[in-house]
Amino acid sequence: MRPFQYERAASPARAVSSADAGSKYHAGGTTLIDLMKLDVWRPERLIDISALKEPRMTRIERNGKALRIGSMVTMAALAGDEGVRRSCPVLTDSLWLAASAQLRNMARLGGNVLQMTRCSYYRDTSYDQCNKRAPGSGCAALDGSNRHHAILGTSDACIATYPGDWAQALIALDAVVEILGKDGPKSVPFATLHRQPGNRPDVETTLAAGDLITAFVIPDADWARSKYLKIRDRESYAFALTSAAVALRMDGDAVSDVRIGLGGVATVPWRATAAEAVLKNAALSEDTAQQAAEAAFAGANTLEHNAYKVELGKRTLVRALMDTAGMEA
Amino acid sequence: MADDIKKAGPDRRSVLKGSALAGGVGAMLATNVRAAQDGEPRAAAAVSRIPVSLSVNGQTRDVSVDTRATLLDTLRHDFELTGTKKGCDHGQCGACTVHIDGERKLSCLTLAATVEGADIVTIEGLAKGDALHPMQQAFIDHDAFQCGYCTPGQIMSAVALVKEGHTGSDAEIREYMSGNLCRCAAYPNIVAAVKQAAPQMGDA
Amino acid sequence: MADVTNTAAPTMANAGKPIARYEARQKVTGGKIYGDDLAVPGKPAHGWLVTSAIAKGTITAIDDSAAKAVPGVLMIMTHENRPPLQPMKTFSTGGIGLTSQEPLGGPEIAHDGQIVALIVAETFEAAREAGRKLDISYNEGRPATTFGSPGVVRKTTKEVVGRGGGPTLGDVEAALAGSTHVVEAEYSTPVQHHNTIEMFTTTAFWEGDRLTLHEPSQFVWGAKVGLAKQLGIDPDNVHYVSPFVGGAFGAKAAIGHRTPLVALAAKQLGRPVKLVPTRDQCFTIAGYRQETKSKVRLGCDAEGRLTGYSHELDEFTSLLDPYHNGGLENSAAMYAFKAVGGDMFLSRGDRNVPVFMRSPPEVPVIYALESAMNELAEKAGMDPVAFRKLNDTRVNPVNGAPYTSRSLNECFDEAAASFGWSRRTPAPRSMRDGDWLIGWGCSMATYPTSMTPATARVTLNANGGAKVEVAAHDVGTGAYTIIGQTVGERLGIDPRRIIVQCGDSDLPPGPVSGGSVTTASVTSAVAKACDQLLAKMSASGPMSDEDRRAAFDRIGSNALIEYAEWTPAGMDPKQAKTLYEGGVPFAGGAGEDRTMFAFGAEMVEVRINERTREIRVPRMTGAFAAGHIMNPRTAHSQYLGGMIWGMGSALLEATEMDRLRGRYVNDNIAEYLVATNADIPQVDIIMVPEQDDEINVLGVKGIGELANVGTAAAITDAVYHATGVRIRDLPVRIEQLLV
Repeated sequence: MRPFQYERAASPARAVSSADAGSKYHAGGTTLIDLMKLDVWRPERLIDISALKEPRMTRIERNGKALRIGSMVTMAALAGDEGVRRSCPVLTDSLWLAASAQLRNMARLGGNVLQMTRCSYYRDTSYDQCNKRAPGSGCAALDGSNRHHAILGTSDACIATYPGDWAQALIALDAVVEILGKDGPKSVPFATLHRQPGNRPDVETTLAAGDLITAFVIPDADWARSKYLKIRDRESYAFALTSAAVALRMDGDAVSDVRIGLGGVATVPWRATAAEAVLKNAALSEDTAQQAAEAAFAGANTLEHNAYKVELGKRTLVRALMDTAGMEA
Repeated sequence: MADDIKKAGPDRRSVLKGSALAGGVGAMLATNVRAAQDGEPRAAAAVSRIPVSLSVNGQTRDVSVDTRATLLDTLRHDFELTGTKKGCDHGQCGACTVHIDGERKLSCLTLAATVEGADIVTIEGLAKGDALHPMQQAFIDHDAFQCGYCTPGQIMSAVALVKEGHTGSDAEIREYMSGNLCRCAAYPNIVAAVKQAAPQMGDA
Repeated sequence: MADVTNTAAPTMANAGKPIARYEARQKVTGGKIYGDDLAVPGKPAHGWLVTSAIAKGTITAIDDSAAKAVPGVLMIMTHENRPPLQPMKTFSTGGIGLTSQEPLGGPEIAHDGQIVALIVAETFEAAREAGRKLDISYNEGRPATTFGSPGVVRKTTKEVVGRGGGPTLGDVEAALAGSTHVVEAEYSTPVQHHNTIEMFTTTAFWEGDRLTLHEPSQFVWGAKVGLAKQLGIDPDNVHYVSPFVGGAFGAKAAIGHRTPLVALAAKQLGRPVKLVPTRDQCFTIAGYRQETKSKVRLGCDAEGRLTGYSHELDEFTSLLDPYHNGGLENSAAMYAFKAVGGDMFLSRGDRNVPVFMRSPPEVPVIYALESAMNELAEKAGMDPVAFRKLNDTRVNPVNGAPYTSRSLNECFDEAAASFGWSRRTPAPRSMRDGDWLIGWGCSMATYPTSMTPATARVTLNANGGAKVEVAAHDVGTGAYTIIGQTVGERLGIDPRRIIVQCGDSDLPPGPVSGGSVTTASVTSAVAKACDQLLAKMSASGPMSDEDRRAAFDRIGSNALIEYAEWTPAGMDPKQAKTLYEGGVPFAGGAGEDRTMFAFGAEMVEVRINERTREIRVPRMTGAFAAGHIMNPRTAHSQYLGGMIWGMGSALLEATEMDRLRGRYVNDNIAEYLVATNADIPQVDIIMVPEQDDEINVLGVKGIGELANVGTAAAITDAVYHATGVRIRDLPVRIEQLLV
């Protein structure tokens, strides 16, 4: 870890005005301190925002169908919110199935959506090839060990998997991100927050220097029939091999509305719009669920060790759809 | 929370390649990617120390810490409270679990500078004099450890779990204890200990 | 020690009392009992290792200017400035070294993560920063990584190390050719790392010429003598202190490079130096379980009686030193084979040197044999339990040496009754619960009982207080507890009044805590010292308080001290001397005239989602018989932990390698998966009473490495039973089942 100056932000505005290209915000610290110890991140200044108490950043508020969740809310707090669990279980399932109780007590949702890939070649600076860490250096994962790597949204420069779970629920539910920037507050669709790697895998997001996420707004959070299915090698405390965030509205057997996010398989939070199109207004059955799954993975690119994710991803989605359809509305 | 990738540049390690790896798939360069910013030393920030007042197990002490020091290393090195263990230093094992303002957290991913004024409780602060906390006694009663190295973290986690109300079923206890790895694999005994201690804890 | 009522302390025949662990209170209160916890004289400096970024090649330049400039840096030790060291022999060749490779011996890089520098600074933070700033340039070669990699050469073990041909009995080819049913299959096991939660820490300080090491160790006497040789100093000037070890499983017996380097740094700086390496470094600065392949051919006649057993075992090992486990001499003793054949092979690459990991050599070898047994039972149309019972043996078929005791059939009976095995329907995919396919599988567990020489000193006071001293080790096994119990039971005194001292090289020498030898060997020495005390008091067994006081009065003393040296039956008593020289001769297992093994039977249930194929293990049952059980509570925990290890080994644990770069990729414990609490809903442990009057004076067998043997075979068989898919390459992964 390189030396840095430490400062506590007195307010969100002061934090944003203080931020510059050499600084990073410290919220829960679970990604930040991890990557700083690994020498992957080397900020010169930490701006500690963890004690900020602004209601808009710390509360969970419901307004009609809409849900507004402050960025400083911990994973544990939202996971334990009974009201949200009843009205929209995919939002809470995707949290308690992630990390551990201790990490969920620390990690804030603003940082959670920005967590970094687990790609070993990114996290270990002794590998000289990583376009995400060292632009232009190559990608060791392409001919290295890539069982955990992405099959959707990849490029020749990077196949690092986006590791988060909650983001799959957010992207499925058309969440909006509220941001305080150098030029004041702004809102962007969550779907535009992360960038696919393309030829610039080092640029993870569309955030500008100093941008501070203050809240997530889910315009319609009434999805009692929703769930997050996470498939992993071990039962707990593990990253997804594949996952599916599914929300359904049914009219008899027919799907009147459907949202699908896919985790563990893509370089960014992944909305399966083609799969949604297959299902919308169709009767939900094994067959249509399978057709949706085929559509979801039609564009997959696989390598030596991750080809299984196509089949597993499809099965994960089919199971999530059938399970969700079986839930009480 | 912008990531300044330029600052997260590569090590200055320069590898003089043999023939083996050069030109492999991995060396593929996207042509319009900026070349690595190698070897430009920037003015390094000086080591920064910061005075912090830490309340550990009910006692407050003023210490000067490196801004980089974790709570874990500060407890072990400065407070000589070595009950809190380093098992991975990256939030992967739970051996460093402590209570910060009543919540279980990982001291290895917590900078000491960030917990000024917080109420920190470690394994050493759990017993009241000679009287063990019910969870400590339950761990003994059920032989809920072998080598014992993960045990402080397990116990701190278990105490918090009971307070969180996650004792609804064995399955729930197991899930909410899964952030604490036990390589000796005393897991079923740990679950039995939690079940014994939970009704005894009261406000302890 | 607290009075207890607990679920983890069953009572049973032929067993000691299930008392709580000697050190229980320290372990639940955060006592300073592990190496890095212990106080040192003066303010310590902090070390940081820099390890190689390549697996093969040469360091061409080291630029330490940026690292040196970090405030607080005291020393940067590399191959360019390392003080002299003497050669180190490996464990396999009579030394204590993990490898014969010299620490910081030159610019050559022989494996991924080789230590290339030790940095010492005033603070941990400064040392780490300097480590990140040390600029090392390499000329990188292409490593030979694992089986099948370019440049890897396969030879018989005998060709490489001069011994190690497989056991032979009769004409195995003829026996197989004449069999009604034959299974021919290849099984493989992966690289696995011990991943003890306590990492490989080292603290060193010098007081004059005397060096003290605070370092977790499974063999403090071996380490003391070996390190002294390496440093070129008198062994009496090395003091190894390791009161408790935060998990070992074989990883903390041999000395790697870090230890002499930290000792040299402390000497040069004239102050204590503490090193806590990183988790990823722990994958390469110590040993691991090497990958294996087994080609097994196993036959039986029409009635299901075993005929021929042929096993070709391939192990991977390092080009530095040919560490290997073998193990066919043990597997050949397991059943009533009529003919046995096979051989052992080594392939070597640019890898760090492997080392023993819980239950060598049984884990891979018995996995292969027991898997083949399950497959053959199916071919013969027999229940796998009945098949094993039919083929039970009372002697080692290879040499006819009788088992001192063997309760495998009793274990299967007990396990089957508890598990409900009779309700198993044999056809694959015949059991399910909704969307979950259910499979039941079984296996034998076994581990050889080995013994070594040991010593002990016991002090007895007239008032019934006692102290027992031996440089044995408690790696979570309960050694302190059972050593105290031995004294208590032998002398008739309350174990709570007995002070037990272990884990310190100033104590009388004990053996390595490996091969499950501690209980059988150390308690034998302790019992012998107790018997010497009793003889001095003219008693023949445990004494009442009055008798003891009377005896002391007669002798005219208030304290008696006895020192005992013990060697296993059949071993030359002169071999005890080896202990003082840092060595440890083993006896037992498949011996020339006696066969000594502990046995168990394991049954598991797996549930596999019909669609997504994740594998869960809702319950496991193990029944074990291992002679006299010193303490059913600690024994229960060892069996429990062992079975969970076996489950993890079957389904979770594998160190993944970048085959091109020769590097371990998932070198952390978020991605090297060990079981979590949620993975283990239910484990039922049954301790089957067994009396063995022949094996040693207390009738005990080692148990620490028994329960994780065979579990993988039970699980793969259960996976087959659930899905109809035979997986022979471990660990079983979800992608293997997406068929």
